[in-house]
Amino acid sequence: MKVRGLLGASALAIVLASPALAADPIKIGVATALTGAYGDLGNEVRRAVEFAVEEVNAKGGIDGRLVETQFLDTQAKADISRQQAEKLVNDGYTLLTGAIASGEALAIAPMLERWDAVYIGTIPKADALTGAECSPRYFRANVPDSADAATVGTWLKDQPEKKWAIMGSDTAWGRNSGASFVGTSKGLEREVVTEGYAGLGTSDFAPYIQKIADSGAEGVWVALAGRDAINFAQQAKQFGLLDKVKVAGVSFVTDSTVKSLGDVSKGIFGIVNYSSTLDTPENKAFVAAWNKKYPGTWPANFEADTYVGMQMLFAAIDKADSAEPEAVAEALSGLTVDSIVGEVTVRPEDHQLVRGNFFGRIAEHDGVLRPVISATIDAAVAMPAANRDCQL
Amino acid sequence: MSSISSPSVRGAQAAPGQGIGLYLAIGCLVAVLGFALPFVGLPKNLLALLTSASISAILATAVGFLVRQAGLSSFGHAAFYGGAAYAIALLVKYTSLPAEVVVLAAPLLIVGLGVVVSLILLRTNGIAFSMLSLAMAQAVYELVMKWRDLANGEDGLRIRFAREIFGLKLSFFQKADTMFLVTWAVLVVVIAILVLVSRSNFGTLTIAIKNNEERARFLGYRTLWPRVVILALSALIAALGGTLFALYNGYVTPSLLHWTLSGEALIIAIIGGTRSVWAPAVGAFVFVILRDVAGNYTTHWQSIVGLVLIAVVLTLPNGIGGALTAFTNRFGGRQNG
Repeated sequence: MKVRGLLGASALAIVLASPALAADPIKIGVATALTGAYGDLGNEVRRAVEFAVEEVNAKGGIDGRLVETQFLDTQAKADISRQQAEKLVNDGYTLLTGAIASGEALAIAPMLERWDAVYIGTIPKADALTGAECSPRYFRANVPDSADAATVGTWLKDQPEKKWAIMGSDTAWGRNSGASFVGTSKGLEREVVTEGYAGLGTSDFAPYIQKIADSGAEGVWVALAGRDAINFAQQAKQFGLLDKVKVAGVSFVTDSTVKSLGDVSKGIFGIVNYSSTLDTPENKAFVAAWNKKYPGTWPANFEADTYVGMQMLFAAIDKADSAEPEAVAEALSGLTVDSIVGEVTVRPEDHQLVRGNFFGRIAEHDGVLRPVISATIDAAVAMPAANRDCQL
Repeated sequence: MSSISSPSVRGAQAAPGQGIGLYLAIGCLVAVLGFALPFVGLPKNLLALLTSASISAILATAVGFLVRQAGLSSFGHAAFYGGAAYAIALLVKYTSLPAEVVVLAAPLLIVGLGVVVSLILLRTNGIAFSMLSLAMAQAVYELVMKWRDLANGEDGLRIRFAREIFGLKLSFFQKADTMFLVTWAVLVVVIAILVLVSRSNFGTLTIAIKNNEERARFLGYRTLWPRVVILALSALIAALGGTLFALYNGYVTPSLLHWTLSGEALIIAIIGGTRSVWAPAVGAFVFVILRDVAGNYTTHWQSIVGLVLIAVVLTLPNGIGGALTAFTNRFGGRQNG
């Protein structure tokens, strides 16, 4: 039995090593939240990956190899996410993406080397992912918390409101964002009078809203996403909080918030990691192509961030002439990509994509309510230096 | 309730000699065949699935054993299971104890806790017991969720094990093809010990207490301590499952403590059947594989699992294990089966 097994294994090895491999598909595994509180976000990731893959396959693939994907649901839960990612890797989908919650990525990152996989993070913002928990195989295409904090400072210093409240998600990201906001406001002589953190999937925000109203805060910083963001905004509107205080946030000023809230969302400030109104030729082409595939919609921020991640990944595979995770990881480190957010580089020290950031508000653009950029912050200002805790 | 909680008088417990031989032979065969699984070239994903299934099987065995021997349906076993996993994560994080000590100490710690808790829990019976166990376990869950500085809340904790545990590389415990041997071995030993316990005088005594506590007391037996022992044993087994989970995954999240996990274990035990010690384990393998297959086709796998549960309860009142026993008896030539 053992001899036969060995024979089988070596036969398999020969098959795998044969030149026929060159035409083998490139396999991208997407473990994302297709259901649950972050279900909307996971479906945005899915749309973006499908768009990017269809686009690249229409051009004949990368180096003649077509791209294949598999999607699995994680419900944005760290443990499920990790199991699904492992499942994808075992099925040969060793180029991974899709985590929504930072907790998911934090659970997966330590396993990547052992699995011999590469991960392109496009949504999770926790600083630890490119800090103390950084991995040689984890690359971040999106903007981390610390960069959002640096960005909010440029806006906060011009606001008259002195007293602020924080309404965050009780997750690695929400806590991280809250702490960053506290740090930024201290430096600007603003005071954080109350902080509330609601668990993932909270449906009743009344206690949190009451606390904010009682605290005398003049502004509220919101770090909620997905269904949590929608629930909070709708209830805050019912309580009249939105009229009384200035509302700003991160991952809050998104196309899906606008879609669910309608006119109520008008005037909400926030960090805009991406806006479809971005006026560059690359972005205009992207928006037009997106509009063609998904008629009547504009790419939302998480969709664009995921698309940037796919641009990064495809460029790295092209550069490496290989889809082997180790070669791809090597190519990604220090890679410069011509992306929809301009020419950007993956920092070799911590695997963070160095890109600028935007501040904006929800306003009408071409007669449609959506996040509109009011200030562009250069990467030099927006992106803090590589974290020293990261030892690659 | 009685249909799932009372083991057959004619079952393994009181089987005549010839029947025992047959069951023993089948049991040994299954156990040995299990150890061969990683060597027959199964796909990695299937082995990973079987490893998870055997960990679930250990938890389900613990829950099923409590139903079988004490007639108690626990909705709180996640606290023992996840408790052991969290104990490991926290001990590794906050102390510098060697990993071997942590891995051995965690289940013992949980058993100690289990004994204390059982003295409160066992004041109740039936529904009250189920609800009280649910409440206590949820308290642990909330503690872990809310005390962010201790256990990092919703995001869970990564366990930074040493590179070597018990002289074996960490990857031995975290790769399915090798870890399956460990989880399977623990499962086999657990079931073997529980079968011995259930067939001993002590096992018979606990069944007598379950059937009529007053009568047992009237016969001169103390009835609290045997039940405490059964509950502690059940807690220990659940904790062993949690320990294996922590070793295998190197990561813990509060969902390990949530009541839905306890409920799932109870559902698995019912699917498998609680008349025999080994039946919940069979249920676990069926459940985990079914869930995976259903999950590949739809994100609404819960509904499929629900339908299967309804089908099993309606058509196999003694679970899959009961059906297997009937089948074996018919073809094993036992007239009185």
